[in-house]
Amino acid sequence: MRKLLVFMGALALCCGSSVAAEDKNKKDDKISTFYAYVDSDVCARLMLGPITQGRIDCSKKAYKQGSNIVIVRLDDNVVFSVNKVKLVKEYLGGIGKVTGEAKTKSGEMKLESFMPEQLSDVPADSPAQKLLDVRNFKAKSTDGLFEKIRHELAMMAYITTFDFISFTMVGDDVILTGWTVRDTNRDDAFHRVKRIEGVKNVVNNIEILPLGNQDMQIRASARGALEQQLGRYFWSNGSDIKIIVKNGNIILLGVVATKEDSDIATIKCNSVSMAFNVINLLRVEPPPAKNKG
Amino acid sequence: MQFIDMNLRRKHTVNEYRRPWKNRFECFASILMIAMAVGCSKPQTTEEAAAPPVKKIPAGAQFSGFLKDYSALKPNPAVEGEMLTYVSADAKKNLRSYFAIVVDPIEVYVATDADEKQVNDDRRKALTNYFQHALANAVSDAFPMVEKPGPLTLRLRAAVVGVDVGGQNGALNIGKVGVEMELVDSETGERIAAAVDRASLGAGAEVGAVNLSRDEKAAAAREAFDEWASRLRAFLDSAHELKGEDMEKADKSYKPY
Repeated sequence: MRKLLVFMGALALCCGSSVAAEDKNKKDDKISTFYAYVDSDVCARLMLGPITQGRIDCSKKAYKQGSNIVIVRLDDNVVFSVNKVKLVKEYLGGIGKVTGEAKTKSGEMKLESFMPEQLSDVPADSPAQKLLDVRNFKAKSTDGLFEKIRHELAMMAYITTFDFISFTMVGDDVILTGWTVRDTNRDDAFHRVKRIEGVKNVVNNIEILPLGNQDMQIRASARGALEQQLGRYFWSNGSDIKIIVKNGNIILLGVVATKEDSDIATIKCNSVSMAFNVINLLRVEPPPAKNKG
Repeated sequence: MQFIDMNLRRKHTVNEYRRPWKNRFECFASILMIAMAVGCSKPQTTEEAAAPPVKKIPAGAQFSGFLKDYSALKPNPAVEGEMLTYVSADAKKNLRSYFAIVVDPIEVYVATDADEKQVNDDRRKALTNYFQHALANAVSDAFPMVEKPGPLTLRLRAAVVGVDVGGQNGALNIGKVGVEMELVDSETGERIAAAVDRASLGAGAEVGAVNLSRDEKAAAAREAFDEWASRLRAFLDSAHELKGEDMEKADKSYKPY
C-alpha cells in the first residue's frame, strides 16, 4: 500500500515537473508593448505596401467580406492573430499601442490592452515609422533585387493552385506574405530569399492553411467550378488564378484578362457548397497586344 | 470465553470494515493509473491496427504483383540507385493535382522459397510500422498527412518485397529486400505515380526485435528503410521540379501583390 502511494506520489511529481517546464516555456514569450496596425487578415498577408488610404480601405473592405482581424507589428511587420478581437475591432484601419504576449513563431498574440493612437503620435525615431513612410518601400519594376526575388519565388517546385506567396520590400528587408497548404513552401520561400545577395532581413508572414475536410472539399469544388468556364487560366502544373481556402472562406488571387472573367470567377465560387464567403482580389490585366511587324 | 469471542468478532468486524475501504482505494488508484497510462500513450492509428496479411512472391515472377501494372515503369536518373518510376502525364490528374497524403499500412511479401507462416507477427509489425513512419516522415512536409481519404489527397501504398525468415532466432532477413510503392487517387484508386526500388539496401540487416529502435542489430535495417523513404522523397521532388515550358509559364504568371 505504501509502495503504491510512493509510486503515485512520484508519478504526480513527474507530471507536475513537466507541467512546470511547459509553464516556464510559456513565460518565455514575455509580455511586450508595441505599435501595431489593426488590419484584416487578407490585406495583412498580401502586404499591399505602406499604410496609405488604399491600404486602410482594403482592410475595411476585406473585413466586411469575411476576413479575420489581425494586428501588424509596425517595427518588423510581423502579423499576429489575436485572441480578443472585440478589443481591436472598432480600430480596424487604425494604429495603436498593444500590450500582450506575442508569439512570433506561431503568429499569435494574447492581448491584454489596446490604446488607440494617431499616426502623428508615433515618434520620428521609432522603428515603427518604417512601415509608415512610403519612401521605405521599393518600387517593384525598377529594382533588380525585386526581380531576383520574384524569379526565385516563381521557381518554387511545390506551389500549386492552392498556394499564394507574395512579398514586399522595405529597404533591403523582405516581408514574405501569403498562404500555403505545405510546410515546405514556407521554409523554402524563406531560405530562397534569405540567400539572395543584397537581402538583409526576411520576415516570414506566410500562413500555413488548415487542411480540414470541409476546406479540402471547397478547394476541389472551387477548382472544378473555375475550370469549367475559365479553363484557359489553368494548366497541368499551375494556374494564373490562385484559390486560397481558409475556414470556409475563398480568396481569389492572381491575374485575369477581363473584368468579365473576374466576375465569372466570383459567381462560380459563390456556387460552391459549404463556402461561406468569396473574397475576389483578382487583378485585371489585359494581355499585351501582339506586334504584327 | 465469551469475552474472547467478542474480541475476535470485533476484530473481524473492523477488518471487514477496513478491507472494502482498502479495496476501494486500490481500485481507484488502479483506475487512475490505467487512465493515465491510456491518456499518455500514443493513440493507435487504424493503419497500425489493421495489418494486411503476409504474401509470397509468385515463383519465377520478376515482380511481386503488389502493383497492378509494371509495364510503364522506367529508370529514373534523377534518383540515386536503380529506381524504376512512373508518373501520370494526364493534364488534370498528375502529382501536382494533389497535395495531401494518406499512408497505408505496409504490405510484406516473403521470398518465393520462404514460408510465410513462419513470419513472426510482432517482428513483421516492427518492420512495417518502422517503414510506414519513415515514409511519413520523408514526405509529410511536402505532402501533409491527413487521416482520411478525400479530394486532393493521395494514398501511398507500399510493400516490402523479398523478406526471408532465415535469420537468427527466426529474425526477418531483409538482405535481398526491395520496395514497391504506388501513389493513387485516394477516392478513385486511379494510379498517379509508382516506384520500384530493387536495390538491396538492407544487406546484412535483420529485424529480430519487437521494437526496432531498441535493437542495435537492426540499425542496418533502419538505415535501409530510411534510405528507401528518402529516395521516394527524391523521386517526388524530381517529379515536381519545373522544367521547360512549365518553368516559363510559372515565371510569367507569378506576380506578387
